[in-house]
Amino acid sequence: MGKQLTFKGASDMPMISISLGDMDWNKTGAWRAQRPFYEDRTPPCSVACPAGNDIVTFIQKITQGDVEGAWNVIKEENPFPGICGRVCFHPCESKCNRGNYDEPIAIHALERFVSDFAFNLNKKIEKIPGVRKGKVAIIGSGPAGMSCAYHLAKLHYEVTVFESSSASGGLLRSGIPSYRLPKDILDREISNIEALGVEIRTGIPLGENLAWDGLKDYQAIFIATGAHQNRRLDIPGEEGKSVFNGLDFLRKINLNQKVKLGEKIAIIGGGNTAIDVARSVIRLRKKAILLYRRSREEMPAFKDEIEEAMEEGVKIRYLVNPIRIQQKEGLKRLECLRMELGEKDESGRRSPVPISRSNFFIEADSVIIAAGEEIDVSFLPKGMEKREGIVLTQRDGSTGIKGVFAGGDLTSNQRTVAHAIGSGKKAALAIDCYLNGKDTEEAIHRILIGEGPSLSIFRHLHPEARPMNPHVVTFEELNMDYFEPSKRLRESKGPVKERVKGFGEVTSTFTEGFALEEAERCFSCGTCNECENCYVFCPDASILKTEDIFSHQVDYDFCKGCGICFSECPRGAISLREEER
Amino acid sequence: MKRVITGNQAVAYGVILSRVDVISAYPITPQTTIVEELSELIASGRLTTRFLKVESEHSAMAALIGASTGGVRCFTATSSHGLAYMHEMLHWASGARLPIVLVNVNRAIGAPWNIWSDQSDSLSQRDTGWIQLYCENNQEVLDTILQAYRIAESVKLPVMVVLDAYVLSHTSEPVEIPTMEEVDAFLPPYCPEYPIDTREPMAFSVITTPEYFLEFRYKIQKAMEQVPEVAKKVDDEFRSRFGRGYGSIERYGRRDAEILLMTSGTVASTSRIVIQKFIEKGVSVAGIKIKRFRPFPSKEIYEEIKGARKLAVIDRNLSAGVGGIFAQELRASLYSREERPQVFGFISGLGGRDITPELIEEAVQYTVEHPQPEEEILWLGLKK
Amino acid sequence: MKKREIPFSENLGHGHLACAGCGAAVSMRLTLKALGEKTVMVLPASCWSIVPGSWPYSSFRIPVIHAGFVTGGATASGIRAALDVRGDRESVVAVWAGDGGTFDIGLQALSGAAERNEDFIYICNDNEGYMNTGTQRSSATPMFAWTTTTPVMQPKENPKKDIMAIMADHHIPYAATATIAYPEDLLRKIEKAKRIRGTRFIHLLSPCPPGWRIPSELTIKISRLAVRSRIFPLYEIENGISYTLQEESHIVPVKEYLKLQGRFSHLAESEIEVTQKNAEKAWKRLLKRAEV
Repeated sequence: MGKQLTFKGASDMPMISISLGDMDWNKTGAWRAQRPFYEDRTPPCSVACPAGNDIVTFIQKITQGDVEGAWNVIKEENPFPGICGRVCFHPCESKCNRGNYDEPIAIHALERFVSDFAFNLNKKIEKIPGVRKGKVAIIGSGPAGMSCAYHLAKLHYEVTVFESSSASGGLLRSGIPSYRLPKDILDREISNIEALGVEIRTGIPLGENLAWDGLKDYQAIFIATGAHQNRRLDIPGEEGKSVFNGLDFLRKINLNQKVKLGEKIAIIGGGNTAIDVARSVIRLRKKAILLYRRSREEMPAFKDEIEEAMEEGVKIRYLVNPIRIQQKEGLKRLECLRMELGEKDESGRRSPVPISRSNFFIEADSVIIAAGEEIDVSFLPKGMEKREGIVLTQRDGSTGIKGVFAGGDLTSNQRTVAHAIGSGKKAALAIDCYLNGKDTEEAIHRILIGEGPSLSIFRHLHPEARPMNPHVVTFEELNMDYFEPSKRLRESKGPVKERVKGFGEVTSTFTEGFALEEAERCFSCGTCNECENCYVFCPDASILKTEDIFSHQVDYDFCKGCGICFSECPRGAISLREEER
Repeated sequence: MKRVITGNQAVAYGVILSRVDVISAYPITPQTTIVEELSELIASGRLTTRFLKVESEHSAMAALIGASTGGVRCFTATSSHGLAYMHEMLHWASGARLPIVLVNVNRAIGAPWNIWSDQSDSLSQRDTGWIQLYCENNQEVLDTILQAYRIAESVKLPVMVVLDAYVLSHTSEPVEIPTMEEVDAFLPPYCPEYPIDTREPMAFSVITTPEYFLEFRYKIQKAMEQVPEVAKKVDDEFRSRFGRGYGSIERYGRRDAEILLMTSGTVASTSRIVIQKFIEKGVSVAGIKIKRFRPFPSKEIYEEIKGARKLAVIDRNLSAGVGGIFAQELRASLYSREERPQVFGFISGLGGRDITPELIEEAVQYTVEHPQPEEEILWLGLKK
Repeated sequence: MKKREIPFSENLGHGHLACAGCGAAVSMRLTLKALGEKTVMVLPASCWSIVPGSWPYSSFRIPVIHAGFVTGGATASGIRAALDVRGDRESVVAVWAGDGGTFDIGLQALSGAAERNEDFIYICNDNEGYMNTGTQRSSATPMFAWTTTTPVMQPKENPKKDIMAIMADHHIPYAATATIAYPEDLLRKIEKAKRIRGTRFIHLLSPCPPGWRIPSELTIKISRLAVRSRIFPLYEIENGISYTLQEESHIVPVKEYLKLQGRFSHLAESEIEVTQKNAEKAWKRLLKRAEV
């Protein structure tokens, strides 16, 4: 086979022109002007995920019926899928290429499904074996601190987390109500991290019970104390009776403590905290009216949250700004100005401009101010000052103090759970590099997802398995011929009447059937999922596979470079480059 | 068993006795009774031969090329326009070295329409690489078909067996019909050189570049060159088994004759009587019947005509622009010889014009009287 | 994700001489996977007289018989008869002819064989022109198309011959259209054809990059658009009377199909409209036939 035949002449030729060999010797690969090759390209969802989740791979595992495998994939980057699946603002879904076709994949719902499913498998999590490379202290057991602890433990460090309050979790516990994030979910995901060998010591605030040089035995320190101060409005009457602070209110609710409120509660603010406050008020069978100084489009709270709040009876008044809180016959009286929208401010949103002489009054029994969170630096060492609301660090999280790193809400204005998780992961990498004399910038560069800023720590540990590719797959690079329009599946929600009776979880996790169906909608951008289009459509049988295994190999001896495989790959996992001659 | 049968019926017997597996044919006068006979026999169940009743002669030959490549013994019959229609496929059959036997009932080719005896149709195909065998009576027709399969399957070239329209095809003569057992002993089953086998797949008739094509054609010529020897062996064996033999040519008449008459087909039959008449009158003449036209029996002819001074040829065909084809081939075969008799090229009988004993006499007489022919072409019986 | 059900063995080797992106090469490869090893294939003159290589080589892994241009139907009849005589009723006899060897010069032999209900599967690999000899028009060339014998100043004036209607009226047991963008459909139809005796006809549309003036990577896409624009609908006809039309959920205007092909680049708006109307009329005709 494959060899060329020669004949002396008529004497050794057969009688007629019957074939005596095949054409395997004819390497038609020499015809090529362009060469196709498989390369995993980066999907936009992972680029958008601040926590650096490998979304395409975990969804692929679901479609393969390997939910445990999906769980393992997620765990490489993110210890909190059950949490993120419930409370993340899912920027991945906003960037999902399927959104350009019909509706984006319900990635958050799939992440949540995987976490809940894995929990039901009752798999025991083993302590990380082996010798520890060093000791690291983490201040703060919120998502940033716990993410850092998790990744450092997997990097074989001995980690101790110091938590100032009596329970771990940070804002996850104290700030987010149970109807959004049940406490048992939070508890189980934190105990998964503890099971690796991470020690959490609660009730130990830095500065009080823990002096700065009490930490000198640790080779590195990560500070992630968050932002727990309620931002002041600086208006008269802010300190008065029955005027509460949003974060305090939520903390009390989350610790099951009693709160004394009147019947009608005015809530000032437009972020998730304000919405959480309003919906908690409803669940205490009170009336909630939310006052926001801009319009609905500018509200920073998640759209789903706003919608659910309104379903549950929260009244929202837009373009209203209280300028004074007065007391009048046992009621609070808020003097408000109407606002109109002016030019865009630095957040990119149109700024509120008061309409002069539009003063009017709103009455309420209590007022809760939830207009933002601020950091507290009073217990932090010198060199970590507050500048424009945050503590500044280098890109890798290092502060001016050697061996001290910081992250999470403390160091960023992008205050989301996902960003915190990403920040903790980055700090773990930075600490690992710092303690081993490696260049952190270089290490970070190698593990960027797309062009960053999100990181994949899996890539740090297995660089060959998933090489970095700055190319992010766009919708135009996909082939829609292979997809049918289908509706995005939604997690079921309880009826409003039932929901507001208590703090039980509002949404339900996908069933296995729903999860599979939704996962099948994923385009798998840039990642081959062995659909075998390339193998089927190659005119020269030059995409190699054995009976069972799809090899992702092109037979360059015969590939003529027609480009059909490139064109028919539904997900842009094949690239073309010019053939060198 | 002796029976009185027509030439076409003799063909049918030849086909049956040869145990042909696949027939593919299209009707054309005067071949039609061949296929009608065979259809009747197949329909009645006395013959298990498969008959593909194709929609044209081109398809008939194409179907046989398929069947023969498939490794079975094949047969077709046609005439005139039908033979011309399959011209492309005749080339293909010999190029593919398939031992197909075709019976052609010699008939004129139009325009204008003419359904009667004329050799122009078979001779127009002389360059297609087919062996051509001519018959002067119905016995010879049957016997030649049996021999044809032996020759074809031995040298791996197709064979055309030719008989005159109406004079033989539709005229009854007594014919000795051998038994199936006798023929089985003479003609073994066909064993193809390259059978189609899905377990050992091959491509057939693969396109061949200038690098090798010459050699394949060379092989065909070499096979043709083996025919005289093979045909002689087959004929000798036939003679020993059945008591009848034909040779590639046959000389009759005076051994010392210097004037010879060359004919083929039924004209040869009539010529025997004419030559006999001349000999009785005291004229020293002899006749040569040509049985095998392709490959042209140059050597055999030369052996038989040594010493002759004049050779008259009667062609029942015309290659317009050059004359009679037998005469042309004969002249060519003599060119390199030392002894070259004068060739008198007579043409007669086109389109079924009866070649009477009188016409033949005229030709012989002319040849006797003239030292050389006065014209290139001598037309017999032409109405000026 | 459901795995594709494509048989694994290759009955066409690589190293063959088809152009890069040749639609017929995809067609042949898939067809041979479905036909299997026990197939004897007749190849009347077409690109496939050249593509498998010249003597002494052939890329085919089944027996193939190269035959005269005219002779697909006839040669296959002969081979079938021979195999039957030899007692082989298992091997499938197939013909692979181009549109020239089917619609034009080979029509007579095909018609004759179909009328006799000869037992073979006849696959017409339709690339809508005499591509092997350099893109001359055939009666399968669509109206308005450029070819070397229908140049832009005088493009093809007549509509494409309806070969499926012709075959249906021979009352053969099975006829179907297919094209490479729908590989499972093609395979299903060939497998179905294999289980039937008698004359079976598959009309297989194979885009030709040099002949249709398309970039080689668009071969599959154009094949799909041919179906989606209803220019080449997928359907089956059983016994000449029973029509099964396949639902197509993504109908597109013919313009989407035409605009990607250089052979249609000279079309005026009015000609595109005519093409659209003709496609719709043809579809309505099919619908009517399916009702009966």
